[in-house]
Amino acid sequence: MSTNNKPTSQPPRVADRLLNWLVAPHLREDLLGDLHEVYARQLQEVGPGPARRFYWRQTLTYLRPSIIKRKPTDQHPADYPLPFLLSPAMIRNYVKIAWRNLTHAKSFSLINGFGLTLGLACALLIFVVVSHETSYDLHHKNADRIYRVETVNMGNSEAHAGTYTEMTAVLRNEVPEIDRVAPVYRTSGQSIAVPQEGKFFKEPVAFADNDLFKLLDYEWVSGDANTALTRPNQVVLTESHAQKLFGTMDVLGKTVLLGDDHNLSVTGVLKDHPATTNFPFDVLVSLPTLKRISPDYDTHGWGGFGDNYQVYTLLRQGIRPEQLANRFRAIQVKYQQDPETIKNQHFELNPLSQLHYGYNFSGRQANQKLLTILSLIGAFVLLIACINFINLTTAKALRRAKEVGIRKAVGSTRLTLIYQFITEAGLLTFIATLLALLLARTMLPAAANMMGLPLKTRDLFSWPVGTFVTLLFIMTTLLAGTYPAFRLSGMSPIWALKNNKLPRVAGSITFRQSLVVVQFTVSMILISSTLFINRQLSLFKNADLGFNKNAVITVGLPNNDPGKLQTLRSQLIGSPQIKDVSFSFNSPSAESNWMQGIQYRKSTQPVEIRTQMKMVDAHFLTTYGIQLIAGEAFREGDTLPKLIANEVFLKRMGIDKPEKAIGQLVYFGDSQESAPIIGVVKTFHVNSLHQGIDPTLLQVVPKHYYQAGIRLAAENASAETLNATIATIESIWKATFPNKVFSYEFLDETLARAYHNETRTAQLIETATLVAILIACLGLFGLATFSAESRTKEIGVRKVLGASVASIVGLLSGDFLKPVLAAILIAAPIAWYGISEWLKTFEYKINVEWWVFGLAGLLAVGIALLTVSFQSIRAALMNPVKSLRTE
Amino acid sequence: MKRTFLGEFEEVVLLVVAACTEDAYGVIIWEQLQEQTGRSITISAVHATLYRLEEKGYLSSQMGGATAERGGRRKRFFTVTALGSRALLEIQEMRQRLWQAIPQGKLQLIGQ
Repeated sequence: MSTNNKPTSQPPRVADRLLNWLVAPHLREDLLGDLHEVYARQLQEVGPGPARRFYWRQTLTYLRPSIIKRKPTDQHPADYPLPFLLSPAMIRNYVKIAWRNLTHAKSFSLINGFGLTLGLACALLIFVVVSHETSYDLHHKNADRIYRVETVNMGNSEAHAGTYTEMTAVLRNEVPEIDRVAPVYRTSGQSIAVPQEGKFFKEPVAFADNDLFKLLDYEWVSGDANTALTRPNQVVLTESHAQKLFGTMDVLGKTVLLGDDHNLSVTGVLKDHPATTNFPFDVLVSLPTLKRISPDYDTHGWGGFGDNYQVYTLLRQGIRPEQLANRFRAIQVKYQQDPETIKNQHFELNPLSQLHYGYNFSGRQANQKLLTILSLIGAFVLLIACINFINLTTAKALRRAKEVGIRKAVGSTRLTLIYQFITEAGLLTFIATLLALLLARTMLPAAANMMGLPLKTRDLFSWPVGTFVTLLFIMTTLLAGTYPAFRLSGMSPIWALKNNKLPRVAGSITFRQSLVVVQFTVSMILISSTLFINRQLSLFKNADLGFNKNAVITVGLPNNDPGKLQTLRSQLIGSPQIKDVSFSFNSPSAESNWMQGIQYRKSTQPVEIRTQMKMVDAHFLTTYGIQLIAGEAFREGDTLPKLIANEVFLKRMGIDKPEKAIGQLVYFGDSQESAPIIGVVKTFHVNSLHQGIDPTLLQVVPKHYYQAGIRLAAENASAETLNATIATIESIWKATFPNKVFSYEFLDETLARAYHNETRTAQLIETATLVAILIACLGLFGLATFSAESRTKEIGVRKVLGASVASIVGLLSGDFLKPVLAAILIAAPIAWYGISEWLKTFEYKINVEWWVFGLAGLLAVGIALLTVSFQSIRAALMNPVKSLRTE
Repeated sequence: MKRTFLGEFEEVVLLVVAACTEDAYGVIIWEQLQEQTGRSITISAVHATLYRLEEKGYLSSQMGGATAERGGRRKRFFTVTALGSRALLEIQEMRQRLWQAIPQGKLQLIGQ
């Protein structure tokens, strides 16, 4: 278009602007056209000056309502009223086009959708886990007023869950601010039986009184909450346990045998408790029964306390726990005999909502730190997945600049385009959400198992999860849809048709690259953590414990009557599959141990040695394969107290040669009781490998036999032989202890359980690693797609000028290695720090070796190259004619 | 039948459109009007009337024929609709009747 230098060739611009503003839009075109035409003629006839004046005069006469009035219903085609863009027909169209676009690029949609599915499923599972862990006991009516009385010793950061048994009575009588006091004493594994039905079980039993039913919300199927646990020998069962014991719900008045000789009458049946409670009591026995079962138990004690006796209180409305601090101080001063304890101990009230984070009866504790980390991981994974999704969608949308241009040219409004893009994102997100739900459902049992949570599929289809998923869906759709929608729809059609490069490409590349760095940093940290944790676990598994843990079966002993044990032993030994049998307090390495102070009084100042005592019999060393390095073993029929020490004990005694220890006397505590050391064993691990080896003494104490260790003849027996052997052991055991529940364990499995936490962490980290790598790869893939896309022409030119495919692949891949290398550099120190901190909790640990980081780095680079090569090879193989022709 | 009144100016504009030998649009109509009536008329008056007539249904329009001097803007071509023709005819008829109803000699008197 040629521009005339004379401004007069055009009518006065101000007048035009005025007209444009004045005249209704539907009249503007022809009206202004007419005026310009007239102006053009006037210019010829009378010259510019009069023409301009005339133009102005004419302009001003347009100040009339009929010209100014806007007509929304006018039939001018350019100004058709905007149709309702969300009409069913339009929505159908949006969905149809969206579906076509998705199916058109199947592999792209698959990859993109998969990333999002993975992220959503992760977030979903984490949400379910976190909401389960944080929902314990929130359902009780008075939840905000219920507190547990906890005992805190000075210098101990953690409070003890239990308190003195006398506390119940004292609080009931002396503290008016407390409405209700409910004590609970719980035992693990009591024998519960209904002999006439032939049912024998070992069940945890809770001793409580009626106040518990008033403190917490219980639903009664039958029985009376006011009298159910008042008198001795009363028991309340849950529905499922009534069913288990009697096969019916109608159990009121029936008799349950507790232990050997306590008949309890059933006074109530409760509805089953929810999974999210810290009070999973199925068998509730009246508190007065406790005294009958264990006469030694001090129910009004102020001397010592254990975690199994807990006192719960319901504070009066409006009372804060801090207000009772002085009350508790006074109680301590009044009742506590020991002045040291008064000084060093105080009581605290812990709210019901916090119980799940500390010791509680549910058998599981939530780890607040882990939950926070988990939530962060969930949010992070989701965020990265969303950003990747946006990135990939945007990269993809670039190809559609032409489509957008044409759409705009044929009259699509910006809003239509935005709806279109959001529908596309929405459709993909919707499919991804459905798949994520499916994936989460499939993975839930595994996740529940990994976290040790009682999660059911039901938990996944609950209201909060539904709301969470809907919110996620809307958020992701908006996040992923709006950016390309606004970005592309905002471009002018000319730009879109002529050009298909988004401006500011450099800026967004940097953003994408930094994203890849973050993703790979996380992946690298996780990869190296996985490698280290697995090395540590294999150290646990394969460590030489100093005894033979293989082919040993342990069974419990319900009673340690020497006669019975003698018969049991001789019968077991009689079986050809059994090599040896030993009765003892526990296994060579066990979770619960007996610690005792031992004195060695050779020098003037007695050496006090905190020693682990192992109550064993004469067959302990042979059964477990513990090596004797000096002196002699115990002999059957020894009556005098004799001891066998380990090397650590000798070291504490200050004896360097094992032989010198033989015959030395040691004293039990500060008493005059003493026993000689008759033998020394090679050190074996008495604790899990988290801890060091305690000084240990072995002693024959028949009254403390609680378990039998049975060494099998064959190390690697087949499953059938093993089953036959176990059946033999069971029949012999049952013959010795009729009406008791037989249970057995393999020693190696029992020991492996000590590393349960680490195994769980390893599994968690492995899963996280997998997810992180996948997501990082998706991010990188997006970047590669984006970059290959925007460098199509460059690659074409390079190829025309003679670049080889290999050199182009190298060029493209090299670019992506940079962020990955940066990630490795950032990740290595972080991972090193984290791993060293984690390893500090173990006494026996692997070394943090640098080659592991190298391996992790190589893995990361390999994975990155693999991801990128797909795009870069494709780009490099493209025919340059194609890429250069599209101008 | 519903009767629509046509103002004097409206009638003239309508007649000019009807009388136009070429495609009638704003400028042409304006020029013709001035020529035929000898009055000086603003374009805005012509435009307003044309639009009003279109609104009343006596005229219809379609766009076309953009030229460079109009800055690429299209013209709005007007044609008389059936309703417009009938209205013109009715007015003519009415006037005819009135003309015929004038008694002999009266007009000369008035004319003097």
